Amino acid sequence: MWPTFAAPGLIWLVLLFLVPFYAILSVAMGTLDPIFGAAVPEWNPLRWDATSFAEVMNSTTLQVFGRTCAYVAIAGILSLFIGYPVAYFISRHGGRFKTTLLVLLIAPFWISYLMRMLAWVNLLQDDGYVNRVLMFLQILDRPKSWLAGESLTVVLGLVYGYIPFLILPLYAALDRIDRRLLEAARDLGASPLKTFLSVTLPLSRQGMIAGSVIILLPMFGDYYTPDLLSGSPGNTMTGNQIAFYLQAPSGANRGAALVILLSAAVSVLMIYYLITVARAAREAQ
Amino acid sequence: MAHPRERPASYGWMKRRDFLRSSAAAVSAAGFLASCGADNKSSGSLVKVATPDNPSTLQISDDNPPIDSNMEPEAGPLKIFNWNDYLWPKVAKDFGKEYGVDFEISTFYNMSEAVAKMRTGQVDYDLFFPTPDVLPKLVAGSLLQPLNHDYIPNLEANVWPELADPFYDQNAHYTVPYMVYSTGIAWRKDMVDEDIGARSNPYDVFWDSRYSGRIGIYDDYREAIGMVLTRNGISDVNTGSSKALALVEDQLKEMADKVKIRTTIDGAYAKLPEGQFAVHQSWSGDIIAAPYYMPGDDYGDPDGVLQFWWPEGKGIVGNDTVAIPKGAKNPVLAHHFLNFLLANKNALKNFSWVGYQPPVNAMNPATLVKDGYVVPNLESAILERKALDSDKQLLALPANIDQKWQNVWSNFKSGV
Repeated sequence: MWPTFAAPGLIWLVLLFLVPFYAILSVAMGTLDPIFGAAVPEWNPLRWDATSFAEVMNSTTLQVFGRTCAYVAIAGILSLFIGYPVAYFISRHGGRFKTTLLVLLIAPFWISYLMRMLAWVNLLQDDGYVNRVLMFLQILDRPKSWLAGESLTVVLGLVYGYIPFLILPLYAALDRIDRRLLEAARDLGASPLKTFLSVTLPLSRQGMIAGSVIILLPMFGDYYTPDLLSGSPGNTMTGNQIAFYLQAPSGANRGAALVILLSAAVSVLMIYYLITVARAAREAQ
Repeated sequence: MAHPRERPASYGWMKRRDFLRSSAAAVSAAGFLASCGADNKSSGSLVKVATPDNPSTLQISDDNPPIDSNMEPEAGPLKIFNWNDYLWPKVAKDFGKEYGVDFEISTFYNMSEAVAKMRTGQVDYDLFFPTPDVLPKLVAGSLLQPLNHDYIPNLEANVWPELADPFYDQNAHYTVPYMVYSTGIAWRKDMVDEDIGARSNPYDVFWDSRYSGRIGIYDDYREAIGMVLTRNGISDVNTGSSKALALVEDQLKEMADKVKIRTTIDGAYAKLPEGQFAVHQSWSGDIIAAPYYMPGDDYGDPDGVLQFWWPEGKGIVGNDTVAIPKGAKNPVLAHHFLNFLLANKNALKNFSWVGYQPPVNAMNPATLVKDGYVVPNLESAILERKALDSDKQLLALPANIDQKWQNVWSNFKSGV
């Protein structure tokens, strides 16, 4: 009786995850239509042909993946440094404005990612408001070409795009911390800094990890941020490479192979997350 | 009062003529057969690569005949499947008024996507706008219907003879030509201190670090590689030579390093007029439309800021086509629409909004500027009929060569 309650979830998982994943694998292992160059998936695993994996496993792919990892890592760390104080402030000092602050934080993200990035394209132009403000504040003495293939712009774009999804779980984790633990730490003579470092920070670790995983995974597959904010080959990420293959005539097999490889790589991250969650659960018992 | 060419500010980064011709060069059936050892020229093969020197007749099969003459047009609605912003809706409206029918325009971003959609057989468009290199595939896949020329007298009466009977579709069995264009370099006089066209080799501008970050090329492997080949004086812009392509790859990478080159689709017609670029590779039709993307007081380019150069006689030209899908519900109406598009008056009207030039006799380069269709500073973007003979075209590539081109492009695009 009870196991049947898992049925909706199971159907969901099979229909929306396993079947599409198998389809991608079948495309990667399949062939091409000789006339139109479109992907012909090979559903029978006995006839799978891994040539396209060999074709995409080269030094170029690895170097682009290295660049992607660097962008994502820097963006992830920046997001933590920016997101943590925000989440901390709202949970500790938000008071009765907590909900309002959270809503305000999320409000811009009701607008589609694409529209927000296009808005940044306008703001970041040579004569855009970003340059004007920076020049007014005398931080810059002449306009910086933010959109001219700058890695910095792409990384900041990633941070901007995903940071609320880090702040929310982090806020939840910080808000859950029992205030009495903090009071106890102070009573026992810990300084505010010491309290933060030995009580708050460790207790919010799960929130930090959960939030980071939530933003890092989509960052790995992102391709429109570098597309819109740079468009220069020097900022190509793995997501761009996938889009490139899938849009190129007769590149579908290779695009699908790269999707599988990227999934394998990021699932390492996911596994690490699951292990830490399991460990935390054990410790809590 | 809106100018006829006025259109909403476009987030065109994925719109319009995305991958104009390139994606269309999908591993062609012709190429596939060629790489299997079939001879391009053998008439027995399914399809073949057409070139101006080796023209191709698209066969009409018995089970897919053209419609009969003298039939009454259907009641519509006329369903049009086209690039975005590539037909003035006013022109379609005029046609609708004349024939008492409604019309629907569906759009696609690139030719691969369009062909994939056509292939599903689940669409019933009456008109489709393919590029010449996909025609063999479309005909081999029986996706188009042959034309009955009785309905299209304007094809013979108005269209440049080279294109009324084009090399890629001899006797115009399946298509009428739609637009012609050249590929050159566009720049802004107010952001560039030189006359790029006066350089000994104007293409060198794409390697000039002075323009770093403000210069772009099309996100189109055929146009980009074709440009580098032309820069190096390699006249075969469809070459399969590994040596030539290795040279191209080196130079493309050098370009990426030196000027942080950006690849775009809307760079020439939208971002250059907006000031995001100082220099951009440009199709003639893009730059002719560009003045109407200039913001504020610069709308219409009153100061003559925009400039265009292309190596007439040694450059790259191309054209695209209109065809009627086999599954069209309104084939007679569609034939009438083709004739309507090729009427001088309508062709000019459409040109005034689209910016791309229909190859009809009324397109008189001498009067287009005077009559206000093209701003004076962009007169060089007007394509003359003789260019179709003297200049080169990017043709469908055999699969193995196409793969080489794509590898060059993918290595360049990965930026390593």
